[in-house]
Amino acid sequence: MGKTAVQLAKSNNTGTSRFKTFFKELSKQKMLMLMSLPFLLWVIIFKYLPLWGWTIAFQKFKPAKDLFDQKWVGLDNFKFLFQEQQFYRVLRNTLVMSSINLVLGFVTAIVLALLLNELRNVLFKRTVQTISYLPYFISWVVAANIVQMALAPEGIINVLMLKMQLIDHPVLWLGEGKYFWGILGATEVWKNVGWNTIIYLAAITSIDPSQYEAAEIDGASRLQRMFYITLPGIKPVIVLILIMNLGHILESGFEAQYLLGNGMNLDYSENLDIFVLKYGMQMNNFGLATAAGMFKTLVSFIFLIAANNIAKRMGESRLY
Amino acid sequence: MRTKKWLQTGLAVVMASALLIVGCSNGNNAGGKNSESGGENSEVSTEPVTFTYFGFGANKDVMASDTTIGKKLQEQTGVDWKMENVVGDASTKSGVMIAGGDYPDVISPVGELAKFLDAGAYIPLNDLIEKYGPNIKRVYGDYMNKITNEDGNIYILPFTANVNGYLSPPDPSSTFWMQRRVLKEFGYPQVKTLDQYFDLIEKYQAKYPKIDGKDTIGFVTFAGTAGEFYTITNQPMHLAGYPNEGSVMVDMESHEAKLYQGTDTEKRWLAKLNEMNGKGLVDPETFTANKDQYLAKLTSGRVLGYVNYSWQVNDATTNLRTAGNDDLRYVALPILYDEGIKDAYVDPPSFVNNRGLGITVSAKDPVRIIKYFDNLLTDENQKLVQWGEEGVTYSKNAEGRMVMSEEQLKNRNDNDFKRKYGFSYFDYEWPRYGDNSVYEDGNAHVPFNQPEVAAINYTEGDKALLKAYNLKTFSDFYAEPVERPWYPAWSIEKEPGSPEQLFSQRAGDLQQKYYPRMVLAAPGGFEAVWNEYLAEYNKLDVKGYEEFMTNKVKARVEGKW
Repeated sequence: MGKTAVQLAKSNNTGTSRFKTFFKELSKQKMLMLMSLPFLLWVIIFKYLPLWGWTIAFQKFKPAKDLFDQKWVGLDNFKFLFQEQQFYRVLRNTLVMSSINLVLGFVTAIVLALLLNELRNVLFKRTVQTISYLPYFISWVVAANIVQMALAPEGIINVLMLKMQLIDHPVLWLGEGKYFWGILGATEVWKNVGWNTIIYLAAITSIDPSQYEAAEIDGASRLQRMFYITLPGIKPVIVLILIMNLGHILESGFEAQYLLGNGMNLDYSENLDIFVLKYGMQMNNFGLATAAGMFKTLVSFIFLIAANNIAKRMGESRLY
Repeated sequence: MRTKKWLQTGLAVVMASALLIVGCSNGNNAGGKNSESGGENSEVSTEPVTFTYFGFGANKDVMASDTTIGKKLQEQTGVDWKMENVVGDASTKSGVMIAGGDYPDVISPVGELAKFLDAGAYIPLNDLIEKYGPNIKRVYGDYMNKITNEDGNIYILPFTANVNGYLSPPDPSSTFWMQRRVLKEFGYPQVKTLDQYFDLIEKYQAKYPKIDGKDTIGFVTFAGTAGEFYTITNQPMHLAGYPNEGSVMVDMESHEAKLYQGTDTEKRWLAKLNEMNGKGLVDPETFTANKDQYLAKLTSGRVLGYVNYSWQVNDATTNLRTAGNDDLRYVALPILYDEGIKDAYVDPPSFVNNRGLGITVSAKDPVRIIKYFDNLLTDENQKLVQWGEEGVTYSKNAEGRMVMSEEQLKNRNDNDFKRKYGFSYFDYEWPRYGDNSVYEDGNAHVPFNQPEVAAINYTEGDKALLKAYNLKTFSDFYAEPVERPWYPAWSIEKEPGSPEQLFSQRAGDLQQKYYPRMVLAAPGGFEAVWNEYLAEYNKLDVKGYEEFMTNKVKARVEGKW
């Protein structure tokens, strides 16, 4: 009896002392805490409170009604989602298109950054860079229109290929489902490559020039310098961006697929977002839309954590 | 609103500093209430005020007072409108509006009505009409049961209430169009059946495979974007002799509504398209072109035949007309499956009760708004929004008939002028007389329904064509419409998220997926795709949908709208 009391007192003691040190530390960093308080509040209000909205996924939600007037339906929305035949098709499309975008976007951006870095003529470098990131600022509506025009039976792509005798008769590019993923990948690259390059170019500038000089003296060729200095130099940035992008694995974009999609390539172009728009938003079925959103968040979460862990194991820089 | 409440509760619990935000939103509410009471006090005044208008149709944003008509109406009532229209996806916009609970003063919801009703966005107009709307009562009196919702309230004032009788338009809007030079080439033959229609195109194409150095396009229709896929799916119904009811055909006697999707009626149309495609007459871009590409194609003059409602392609037809070569323009013909069928392309007298303008719960001063509507519905103002001012945009002849000079008519046809003057904004999406109305003095409500105007509106080519067929107007190609008391079935509202709506969406998805495959299938491969389509389609609850529609149609026949 006495023993336990002593033990209790002891543990209590350490508890309070831990508490004490914590508060001591806290009061030391008072200013820092005060300064971060508004941001903490901001995160709670705008990032955590809205999570209440997830309850919509379990309701037959009617807008403009109180929480208590809503009809609760349990997991019905999820059941509908996972039992829907189309769901697996759109999920496949989403994953494939997103992976294509991820890989292509990565490779092209890094290659372009490496190449631009090797350019010595500043004027030419600037021109290339400007041209390559201009499409980023075009809205998807305009971009999709340009793509549709170029891919039309009498559009420039068909004309060129006919002239070069690669094909015998015009191809209906947007009418063949199997071409869609390729077209989308190419379009995304065309639109975003310049913009994605910027961050790598910035990372490259932070590499110590003396390394290059040393390598040059040692007789390293241009390619070798790229491989042994530039690439390792920007590796942390690459890994970090990869992890962050993996968090968006279920976001393959919406506008491009919506605008370029049609009845003929539906099987390949329709992604999760379009499915949610059609069966959720357009039918006023916000419950289903929220359920799909929750599913997306969950998958993204898994990917993000997995990627981060792998990076940690490999001893790379990581998100947290 | 609800999220705001959550926000408030959450904040109150979490941090005292959040009071700031709560205070702000309370402040806003208070502000709203103040102006509301202010409005009620100045009930009778014509003190200047600006309300907000939101349309889900297609239009450009404008201040009403910047147009001639809007200015005149402002002088009468003191009310000005900030008119906004949807940009991009309508259902997303309506969703955002509803979720935010923050509405403009009035909304013309077009296809989004059910959602807004569901969300309780509109105020009932019954009492307001009773108190302040003598003209509204005059115009909508005969339609009261059709504009009253099941809960006994009136929420919107539709656009199709015909006043003083029925005048049918001289130019039909449906749907099989043929280039006039094709008819001319073969000496203006009678074209009645689908086979005859395509035969003629085939013969012409064989004779002139190239036009201006480019390949002739035999036939095209607009099925490249999901929103207008109905262009191609609606045709079986018309070919079988039914008017535009949407996805069903309604029997005249038994009032049974039957889906034609997945039946031989639909199959015949697709089989024909497949056959024509085999001969290289169907433009493959039918299923991929966007609207700009499609309209450009029509304006090029290379297309021999197309299928569309005229309102879908107004820009192209106006441009062709302006270009001045009548041979390159098109004429609509009543094409049917077989000779014996009577066509029903011209809409019967109808009342569309799910398109209209309503006052929202956010409206600051419903009384002044309803008074504005009422004032808009006087005979004079209806003339103003359709015809403009006498001596400026129209004239009166010795017999008191309203007529237009060629100059005036040119303006009435010009999109820019129509916007500047305000016709584009006021002649449709407001409480109004229906298109087929007649004024008490016998003049037509819509200028182009006035025979005198229609006569000037015809070009030399129009007259030559009509003479060749010995007809007076283009409507004379068509049979007289037959009265259908439930018409149109497409305006039957389906509750958001209901099984019927789900059916429509699924069936539509199937059509969108299989139509191109069936039309573009290699000769001989059609049957296989059709069977695949049928198997998928029959998995849906066809019976349930037909039952739903039949019940609604029967209810309408009994007067329950």
